[in-house]
Amino acid sequence: MKSLKRWGITTVGALAATLALTACGGASGAPVETGTPAPSSSEAAAPAELTFWGWAPGYADSVKAFNASQSDVVVKYEEIQPGSRGGYEKMLNAVQAGNAACLGQVGYETLTSFAAQGALEDVSQYANANQGEYVEFAWNSVKVGDKVFGAPVDTGPMAMYYNKELFEKHNIEVPATWDEYKTAAEKLKAANPKIKISSPYANYDYAGMSWQAGALWFGIEGDSWKVSVDSDENKKVAEYWQSLVDAGTISKAPMYDPAWFKGLGDGSIATLVGAVWQAGVIKGDAADGAGKWAVAPMPQWDAANPSVGNVGGSATAVLKGCETPEAAWKFANFLSTDADSYGNLIDKAALYPAAKALLDLPQLTKEDKYFSGQKIFDVFKEEALKVNTDWTWGPNMPLTTTKLDDGLNKGWAGNGKLVDALVEANTATVENMKSQGINVAD
Amino acid sequence: MSVGTPTRSTIPKTRTSGRQARTAALLLAPFAVIFLGMYLAPLCFAVYRSLFVLKRDGLGLTAPTLVFDPFTNYLKAFTDPVFIESLGRVLLFGVVQVPVMLALATGLALLIDSRSARAKGFFRLTSFLPYAVPGVIAALMWSFLYSGTSSPINALLAPLGIEIPFLGQDMVLWSVANIVTWGWTGYNMIIIYAALQSIPGEILEAAKIDGASAWNIAWNIKIPMVRPALILTAVFSIIGTAQLYNEPKVLQSVSGGSIDSAFTPIMAAQAATAAQNYPYAAATSVILAVLVGILSITFFKITNRGSDA
Repeated sequence: MKSLKRWGITTVGALAATLALTACGGASGAPVETGTPAPSSSEAAAPAELTFWGWAPGYADSVKAFNASQSDVVVKYEEIQPGSRGGYEKMLNAVQAGNAACLGQVGYETLTSFAAQGALEDVSQYANANQGEYVEFAWNSVKVGDKVFGAPVDTGPMAMYYNKELFEKHNIEVPATWDEYKTAAEKLKAANPKIKISSPYANYDYAGMSWQAGALWFGIEGDSWKVSVDSDENKKVAEYWQSLVDAGTISKAPMYDPAWFKGLGDGSIATLVGAVWQAGVIKGDAADGAGKWAVAPMPQWDAANPSVGNVGGSATAVLKGCETPEAAWKFANFLSTDADSYGNLIDKAALYPAAKALLDLPQLTKEDKYFSGQKIFDVFKEEALKVNTDWTWGPNMPLTTTKLDDGLNKGWAGNGKLVDALVEANTATVENMKSQGINVAD
Repeated sequence: MSVGTPTRSTIPKTRTSGRQARTAALLLAPFAVIFLGMYLAPLCFAVYRSLFVLKRDGLGLTAPTLVFDPFTNYLKAFTDPVFIESLGRVLLFGVVQVPVMLALATGLALLIDSRSARAKGFFRLTSFLPYAVPGVIAALMWSFLYSGTSSPINALLAPLGIEIPFLGQDMVLWSVANIVTWGWTGYNMIIIYAALQSIPGEILEAAKIDGASAWNIAWNIKIPMVRPALILTAVFSIIGTAQLYNEPKVLQSVSGGSIDSAFTPIMAAQAATAAQNYPYAAATSVILAVLVGILSITFFKITNRGSDA
C-alpha cells in the first residue's frame, strides 16, 4: 500500500511537470516542419526556379505575370499566414532547418530583426543598380548597414483621417499643427464630452508618431547600435500625447478592437492619424462612417518644415540559403516596379508603391465613395514625399515593442505615464542586446 | 502435438512470463511511442535548450550562435523581477481561486446529490455547460462583459452611480479568477458528484436511522468519503493554475495595461519566444514545471498524511 502510494505521488508529480512543460514545450523552439522545401538549385541552361512565400492579396497574379514575362526564372508562389500570425515563425524555422523559400514577404519593422537572426541573404551586388528606382526611405528600410536584403514593395505614409461631418458640425477647422490638433480636441470635448479626438496607439502605429517627429529609436554608429527610444525628442512626443490623455480627449477603445470600429463609425472618435493602408481598414470595419470621413495631411510640429511618418510597408526579402539570389532579386524588383502587376496590387491589397515610377498609376487617382468622393491618394502622394528618411529599426523589434506596449497601454489607460514606457522599453532593449553580445553605443 | 513439445504443465515458468511480457510490451508500445515523442522528447529538448545562451557580436547581423552556459538562463530567470512577479501572481491566484472553486463545486455536487433535489439532470447539465464553452470563447465573452467601453453590467449599474473597474489594476486578477471559476466549477462538480454516487447506500441509510441530519451526513460522511476525488480535482486545479494563459491573454488587449506581456509565467515565456530568445523561454518553462511538480507532490503528501495512520 505504502509503495503504491509513493508510486502515485511520483506519477502525479511527473504528470504535473509534464503538463506544465508541454504547455511551453511547443513554444520553446522545436523546429516546426514547414511544408514544401525550397526547390533545388537550377540545372545548367534550365530556368532558375525559386519559391516565394507571401500573403498579400494579388501577389499570386503578380507571380503569374512575371513568369509570363520572361523565361529565365520560374517563380512558384505559396501563400502563407501573415507574418505576425505565424508566417515569420515559419520563415525563421525553415531557415534554421535549411529548407526556406528563396523569397519571403517581410515587413520593414521586422526585417532588421530577421537580419539579426542571420535569416537573410545580402543581395546588394545585384540590387544596388536599382536603388534609384525606389523612394529613399523605403530603400533604407531594406538595408541594414551597407547590406541590402530585398526589394521594398509598399510604404505606409501617414496622414490624418478625420470625421469631416463632425468637424463641420462643430465649426472646427481641420488642424494643421499638433497645437491646433489639441485645440480641436478641446473644442470637440466642449461640444460633447463623449467625442474623443483619437484613440490609443500601440507599437508600430505609435512608432509612426515618433518617426514623424524625427525621434529615432535606433541608429548605427560604426560597429555599434545606438538605442534612443527614450531620447528627448521621443519624450516630447510622449508628453504631447500624455497631455491629451490627461485632458480626457483620448478614447479608451483599443485600436482594432470592435469598440474602436464602433467609435470611428458613430462619431465618438474624431480622427485617426495613420498609414495609407488604414483607409482599407476603416472602410472595411467602420462601415457606419461612410460618407463622413475625409483625409488631410497629418498635423505638423513645425508647419514650416513639414515631416511625415510611416507605418508598415513590406519588402520581398531574400531568405538565407537561397541558391539563386540573382534570380530572386530579378523577381523581387519586378514585383515592386512592374506597372501592370502593381496596379492590380493597389486594387486588391491597397498597397502604396515604394517605386517612384509607380506613384502616377491610374489606380491611385480614383475617387473614393467612403471618403465622399475624395481622391485620397492625392493626399498620400504629397505626404509620401515628406517622409523622414532617417528611420532605422532595431535588431530585436518584438522585444522592444512588447516592452513598449506594456507601458504604453498603461499610459493610455491613465494607469501610468507614456514617457515611462519609453524609458522601460529602452532599458530592456539595451540590456537584451548587451546580454547577447551586441555592441551598444552609450 | 509432436513428440518433444512440452505439455502445458511442463512449460517453464519463465517462458510464460516472457510471452506475457512480449504481449504487454506490444500493447504498451503505441502509448510508449506517443509518450516518448510527444512528452519526453520536447521535455528533454526544452531542458537541453535551456542550458545554452544566445550570443551575437558586433551589430548582431549574422546568425547568432548558441554557447553552452548551463546557469546563465536560470540565474537570469531567478533575478528577473518580471518573471518572479508573474510566479507570485499566479501563486496568489491559485491560493484563492482553487479553494473557492472546489468549495463551490463540492457544494453544488452535494446539493444535486441530496435526496430532496429535483431535476438533477437539468442542474447537472447546466452547471457543467460553461465547461463546454472553449476557454478562449469564454474569455472573449467575459472581455465584453468587463470592457470599459461596452460592459452591460456597468451600464445597468450606471443609474446607481456605481462603476465596477473589472479591469482595474487591483481587480483584474480576480476578474480572471472569476472566468476560470465560471468555466471549471461544473467540471470539478461532475467528478465530485460521481464520487458521491459511489458511496454505499447502507452507510447513508444507517446514518439516517441513527438520526444524523442532512448537514451532518454531508460533513461527516459524504465529504470524507469523496476525499480522493477532492484531492484529484485540487491537483488538477493546481496544474491548471500554473498554466493560466487563455483568459489573461484574451483580456490583455482591452485591459488598459493592467495585464502586461508577463502577467503569468507562461505569457512571460511566450514573450521571450517572440523575442527570439528560445533558450530563456525554455529555462522559464523548466522552472515552472519543476515548481508545479514540487507543489503537487507537497499537496499530495500533506493531504494524504491523515490516511497514512
